[in-house]
Amino acid sequence: MEKILNFIIYSFLGLFAIGSLLPFWMVLINSFATESSLIQDGFQLWPSEFGLGAYRFLLKGHQVLNSYGITLIVTIAGTAVALWVTAAFAYVLAHPKIKYNNLLSMMTYIPMVFGTGLVGFYLLIVNWLNLKDTVWALILPYLVNPFLAFIFVAFYRTLPYEINESATVDGANEWRIFFQIVRPIVTPVMVTVGLFYALQYWNDWWLGLLFIDKSEMYPLQILLRQLLGSADALKLSATYGISPPSTGIKLAMVIITIGPIIFAYPFIQKYFVKGLTIGAVKG
Amino acid sequence: MSLIREIYKHRYIYSLAIPGLLILFVFSYLPLAGHLLAFKSFEHDKGIWGSPWVGFDNFRFFFGNPDWIHITWNTVYLNSLFLIAEIGIATLMALFLNEVRHVLFKRFLQSVVFLPYFISWLVVSLMVFGLLSNSDGMVNHFLAKSGIEQMDWYQTPWIWPIILTVTRAWKSAGYLSIILLAAITGISGEYYESAKIDGATRLQQMTKITLPLLRPTIIVLTLLGIGRIFYGDFGMIYAIIQDNGVLFSTTDVIDTYSYRALRQLGDFSMSSAIVLYQSIMGLVTILIFNTVVRKIDNDSRLF
Repeated sequence: MEKILNFIIYSFLGLFAIGSLLPFWMVLINSFATESSLIQDGFQLWPSEFGLGAYRFLLKGHQVLNSYGITLIVTIAGTAVALWVTAAFAYVLAHPKIKYNNLLSMMTYIPMVFGTGLVGFYLLIVNWLNLKDTVWALILPYLVNPFLAFIFVAFYRTLPYEINESATVDGANEWRIFFQIVRPIVTPVMVTVGLFYALQYWNDWWLGLLFIDKSEMYPLQILLRQLLGSADALKLSATYGISPPSTGIKLAMVIITIGPIIFAYPFIQKYFVKGLTIGAVKG
Repeated sequence: MSLIREIYKHRYIYSLAIPGLLILFVFSYLPLAGHLLAFKSFEHDKGIWGSPWVGFDNFRFFFGNPDWIHITWNTVYLNSLFLIAEIGIATLMALFLNEVRHVLFKRFLQSVVFLPYFISWLVVSLMVFGLLSNSDGMVNHFLAKSGIEQMDWYQTPWIWPIILTVTRAWKSAGYLSIILLAAITGISGEYYESAKIDGATRLQQMTKITLPLLRPTIIVLTLLGIGRIFYGDFGMIYAIIQDNGVLFSTTDVIDTYSYRALRQLGDFSMSSAIVLYQSIMGLVTILIFNTVVRKIDNDSRLF
């Protein structure tokens, strides 16, 4: 009985683990295949012929570097600002002296449940704020993520209130308490939440899809999308002046896009586990 | 008056919330004005406020076309499939991972199944293409070698609910299993100690102790999913299906439909009507389910 159970457990987990890695392997190894081997044999576990043609092609133009720059700016600036805005906002939600924190929490929850309305959102960014084809359109809408705000709230609630009281007695006002006493204590949470924000900014393509039409403003994900969608690829290949991108180039573009995440993954993974655990315990 | 006094009294604290409130107001609440367009005929030069009212014309148009039934059904059906597969597999995974005694091996497995959560749906869409592409895909190659008839996946609508469900479970089961595993870790060891003394097998411990104690977490995850059952996963479906009309009959959801109405047809009013219909359906779902949950299990209710 025990043996059968063990067999089921390990084969389930083993198969799922292999299934999780296989698509990554497929993309990685085939991105190093030559175009002719891809045309002849399609995707393989081990290509018949290796070459760096796809990467050479992609790195020749300015487009990839340019898009990398846009994505880096959006990710770094977005994460930094979002962290401060969210940390300060959540501090108020969690503050025991505040009478209206339930109301504030409700206001934060409601958009999560209803959605905001695609058309109004589109008109807001394009017509009212005039942010089309700017990095602001990619940064501003994601500055307050309710789920991440509540990770902060859960952590603030575990802090002993005496910290606040003794600081008040010593004459510190609430700004000083937040910036000089509480902020250093929550550094570990800031790392966790910051990584969630960074991942969100890096991987997002919804905002780019809606608001970025100029190719010099393409973030990585949108460049990837243009290469994947064959119709759009024709348009893009005009800027390269070469025939439409082939399979190898799509694969190489994926590797270029996920490369930083995969390299960082062994080091950052535990912070994500921690963040999800805090969220789960809070319920 | 008391509101103003409260805010003035704690003005330093409240002031810390100003940037966050501003962002919420501008990007989550201001866009609600767009819902007005559902009752107007949008003219670009006149904007939301200046465009003429047309009553329920947009809705008449939307409901006059059978598309609305397809996209509503697809949205609810696909989301239900996703929810069942995701939570079912994640629960099994958490239970099983919890049984792996070798700590390093457990951590390794956990890292591997968590990995797909970290990539965007666009990347996933290329992986799906690499597996299922007609001429180059690995699956068709494998079928050919095994002597089984190949399939033209991207021309076969009925199979896509299954493919999308597998893809979804592949991407998020690891993520959900971490939440569930955190809940399992919170279970007191005493239960297992006394069960062992009474001679319970590992299987019995899993089904009689761990699973029942996971129930609240599973219910919360399910409720969150049901609450959003009318919201299709745009990022996923639009990345994988793109504008492949052949597959729309089984994969087109409310969100992809309203997106195309807005960006490809430029029909702002129609798109607003669809989104408003979706919001109302979403609201009704939440209210109904919250009432039901209150009756069954009051502790799990949302509000």
